[in-house]
Amino acid sequence: MDILDFAVYVAPPYVVAAFAFGATYRLLKYIFLWKRGPGPEPRKRGAGSLVKGLIMTFLNPIIESIRRKPHDFITGLVMLHILGVIPLIFLLDQHIAAFAYWFPPYALLAPLAIPLSFTTSALTVAAPFKPVSEMQWGFVNTIWGPLTVFLNGDVLAVLAMLGVAYKIGDKIVRRAHGLTHVRIGDFFDLGLLFTILLFGFMAAHHLPSGDIVTYRTVLGIHIVLAELLVALLPFTKFWHFVFGFWYGKLHEWYDLKYKRGVAE
Amino acid sequence: MNGVNWETYDEALVKEAAKSVVGHIDPVMMHYIENCVSCAACETACPYYAVGEEYGPVNKAENLRKLVRSEVAILPRIFPWLFHSHVPKDAEELNKWAEMAYRCTNCGLCYVTCPFGIHSGEMIKLVRGFLTKTGRVPTVLKAMIDMEVSGTYSGIKGFMDLWQSVLKEAEKAIGKELPLDKKGAEYVYLPSLAEAMITPEAIVSSIKILDKLGLNWTMPSDPMSIRAPVGALAGDGEAAAAVVKRIYNYLKEIGPRYVVMSDGGYPYTTYRFDLPRIVGEKPPFKVVHFVELILELVEAGKAKIIQGDEEVTWHSPCKMGRFAGLIEEPAKLLSMASKNFRKLESHGLFSRCCGGGNSIACIVLPTMQFLGKLTGTTMQVSDEEMNFLKKLEHDMYIASKGKIDEIRKSKAKIVASACVGCIHTIRLSSRVHGLDVSVVNIVEVLADKIEKA
Repeated sequence: MDILDFAVYVAPPYVVAAFAFGATYRLLKYIFLWKRGPGPEPRKRGAGSLVKGLIMTFLNPIIESIRRKPHDFITGLVMLHILGVIPLIFLLDQHIAAFAYWFPPYALLAPLAIPLSFTTSALTVAAPFKPVSEMQWGFVNTIWGPLTVFLNGDVLAVLAMLGVAYKIGDKIVRRAHGLTHVRIGDFFDLGLLFTILLFGFMAAHHLPSGDIVTYRTVLGIHIVLAELLVALLPFTKFWHFVFGFWYGKLHEWYDLKYKRGVAE
Repeated sequence: MNGVNWETYDEALVKEAAKSVVGHIDPVMMHYIENCVSCAACETACPYYAVGEEYGPVNKAENLRKLVRSEVAILPRIFPWLFHSHVPKDAEELNKWAEMAYRCTNCGLCYVTCPFGIHSGEMIKLVRGFLTKTGRVPTVLKAMIDMEVSGTYSGIKGFMDLWQSVLKEAEKAIGKELPLDKKGAEYVYLPSLAEAMITPEAIVSSIKILDKLGLNWTMPSDPMSIRAPVGALAGDGEAAAAVVKRIYNYLKEIGPRYVVMSDGGYPYTTYRFDLPRIVGEKPPFKVVHFVELILELVEAGKAKIIQGDEEVTWHSPCKMGRFAGLIEEPAKLLSMASKNFRKLESHGLFSRCCGGGNSIACIVLPTMQFLGKLTGTTMQVSDEEMNFLKKLEHDMYIASKGKIDEIRKSKAKIVASACVGCIHTIRLSSRVHGLDVSVVNIVEVLADKIEKA
């Protein structure tokens, strides 16, 4: 059994168990700390105001990021999150195939799959001829069409790696400035994410060599590290994706928009 | 008056204080502590970021995280260097923590800017509570808390003379005796001693409005507090609760339908939103600011406002705007009161902070000197604390510059606001930054323009 076999056939149940334990632990803490008590009468606002408030609660940090920290917006939000890890993790066609192997309903997302490479989409845009084919499509056959010039594993992985690299650099500078909010865990988390992306990119391009042993090792490392991330997710800052972001913004909406009646 | 000792370090006291802070953690605070990804999106929103990047909310709030990790988490207690978990190790570090904690106005700009809805100001409030328990609390703030809890402020001649002179002024303005401590009144007006000190005209104007509108109202004959609950500013929840409960009992004895406030700072949000939690029951009255009362009467056709032409703008206090939802209401009233009303550039949810809230403007040297003069006492502070206060004042003027620039840009001659702290800060800071502007409570703008319909 090599590392790829271990990653695909052995590790998953342990990963799920670690995640479930961590998630339960973190959620139970919230439940045990909760105390019931009388609350204030909410300021009455219309349903429209509350809906607008909900949308703006999620949008305001993005607007402020564009206004106050455009470099962070581009690298952190756009490159790392929106164009980087989110579509890569959930929509890369190889990932959809892998997730559907473990959890068959995931295959429903197959029509939205984004391809690994940009070769065929580049040809769609750039080649002076159309392929000879009896089928209906040209070079690309996904729902994204020529957009795959951009929406593909190669480009998105590079963007995500640049985004992570920026974040690591930013944290190094902050540490050098003596800011104490940067923790060693931040470097571990970002380093882990960067390594996963790098090994995924290398596996996709059969790097550093095309022989099967190397390929299986590189892909195996990519998957094992991704499984490590999932297992550690409830104990690291990655928890924000599962819980922190949603709970935080919904609580803010309840606190400011529902209870206190802020209408913006 | 003897000052607080800022030179010593008592390890047992520090550990005890850290334990007590952990006892204040609820699920929301747990979210604030645990779910920060350290992205620092909050920092440029903070008025004190202009002073230095170490004063970004994420960095200031990290001290609470260090403290909590050192108390409750298993691995961080075994490997503190790996998880950044520790309490201050000596007097110097305690003072550094105090410096950071008193660079926060708890204005909430970090809260609405954070992608995860983390309110760093509330975390820093807990750090202040920790510091207070270790003895690191500004002398003047400690004195105000002690006086407010014990009620001894009412024995200080300077305070009471001032209070009586404001009431006399109000009586003169309405031409009749004030209906003081009247049981069964529908409205109780609840001004504080701080208003008598900083915005006495606001008390007079509020009384004029209540009288003009012909409401069945009353007010306490003596000030119920310095500016309740002052204890909250030092993170002293017990002191805050003791004062709020005392005032609540007074209000229940009067039995009003409404409690009306002219101070739209933290006293308003405390009574409007925190009162049920503090007293453990739903109050039998509604708490409203004058802005709400007047607007409701105007919209119901029971009152009208005569429009003037003053060049007036509105500074939204964080507690009244971001934390109480009264953002457009004051602007609406001011636009009725003057055809030359203009909004500030940052008007709205992201209204720029004045830079002096959360006790800052009330503990700096000019305020200490003012209080000393009023009470005929001198507050002795240690050299260490004096350095802290001098630097704090210097930094406050940097933090408030953005607001002053915004007011300057509006070309308004009058800045209306509603928070004693904001008004005091903008007055101090506008002088330093060379802006000639009159800073008043909104009730002062409205008092002469309002009429019963």
